[in-house]
Amino acid sequence: MTIPKSLKSLAGGGLLGVLLVSAPVAGAEAGSLENLERERAILVTTLCAPDLTPDERQKKVAQSKHRLVDLERMVIRDKSLHGQNTPVVRRAFANYDLTFLIHAAVENERDIVDHWLDSLGLSTDGLMNARVGRRY
Amino acid sequence: MTHPKRITLVSGLRAGVAALALLAAAPGPAEASPDGATWSPAASERLVKLPPHMLKKAVDRDFQASGLAVAIGDAGTRITAKSQTLRDLRDAATRADGDLRLELQHQFLAEKQVYIQMVGERLELRARQAETRKVLYERLLEKLRLHGAADDPVTADLVARQEAARQRFDRSVDAVDMQVFGGEFAPQSRYGAEYAKNQAAMDRLLTAIEAHPMNQRPMLDGEEVTREDYLRQLVADAEAERALVAQEEQLLGYMAKLVALDAMALAENLAAAEGGGEVVDGGAEPSLAANVDLFVDNEAF
Repeated sequence: MTIPKSLKSLAGGGLLGVLLVSAPVAGAEAGSLENLERERAILVTTLCAPDLTPDERQKKVAQSKHRLVDLERMVIRDKSLHGQNTPVVRRAFANYDLTFLIHAAVENERDIVDHWLDSLGLSTDGLMNARVGRRY
Repeated sequence: MTHPKRITLVSGLRAGVAALALLAAAPGPAEASPDGATWSPAASERLVKLPPHMLKKAVDRDFQASGLAVAIGDAGTRITAKSQTLRDLRDAATRADGDLRLELQHQFLAEKQVYIQMVGERLELRARQAETRKVLYERLLEKLRLHGAADDPVTADLVARQEAARQRFDRSVDAVDMQVFGGEFAPQSRYGAEYAKNQAAMDRLLTAIEAHPMNQRPMLDGEEVTREDYLRQLVADAEAERALVAQEEQLLGYMAKLVALDAMALAENLAAAEGGGEVVDGGAEPSLAANVDLFVDNEAF
């Protein structure tokens, strides 16, 4: 029995589908982690910007927060990062609280700034006890 | 006087005996064929990723399209035709008498010799196929092991961290949705909405894929097995095929020996019929006593 050509090409398409599903899409791996880090850097800059009024800061932080939530989800769902043994990926997953800042802050029921400072090891007590000096 | 045709027949049979003896003694290992009867499958990533039962079919299809498969098929057709020729010759020789019977017996043996050569060549092709198949499955098995295993401790640690992060993340998703997107004036992002919609569609597709008969896990003796186990079984099957080919080569060697013996017997019979092989008999030894009279009687003188 001969298989019609159309059926063969369909079967071939099925195999292609298998390959597409199993292989990461080239475009998608163009830096979901880098995008997240860029957006987080912008958020931190906004939080620390001395020239913004409280209203402006709140508005910008809210916008950034929405984007960060999406970006964090994109990173955690990005299959191309699975087992990708590069310094950027290793560092990102070595510190969950800094990489997934919004989700970790909500999980810990803390404000984003507090959670970020805490993750960096900076507490109010620590800052208050700090003194200016030369480091040898 | 010996008939020239019979001389040819006898020398032909003797040459055939020598050739068959060589064939019987040394079936010989497979050699690279210059006739284009080749099959060079590649252990590609595509094969590794295919479902196991489709993997075997893909390999079978690749083989069927190869020059080796064509050569094996052609050899099989020629062997079948030769078998029929042998049966016809045997029947004809059984019915014939005299010189014609001898001639047919000679042809029968010569055709047997050709048949054995043909079967030997086909066995060599089958051995080549089994060996190629075995090497291919072994390479696939090796690739599968490399895929499955974490390459090094650092990567293994990273994978573990990623899994832990995923689990921790999943636990906080609902809370983040409530807190960040829960407000009346802060609807869910486009990404979130589209992702949820696509995820629902993907879940349905995944359910259908899981239930699809072509996606069933490989079975061996009615038991579900892993992909690795299945590949190991394929390697064992190829090894078994190779062992059977070796046994058939031995069988063919015995057939060749039997043909050689038949040829020797026929040559012997032919020589006996010609009288060429008989020792010249001078009759009874003349007795001196009986011939004394020839010396005593002097009547002739």
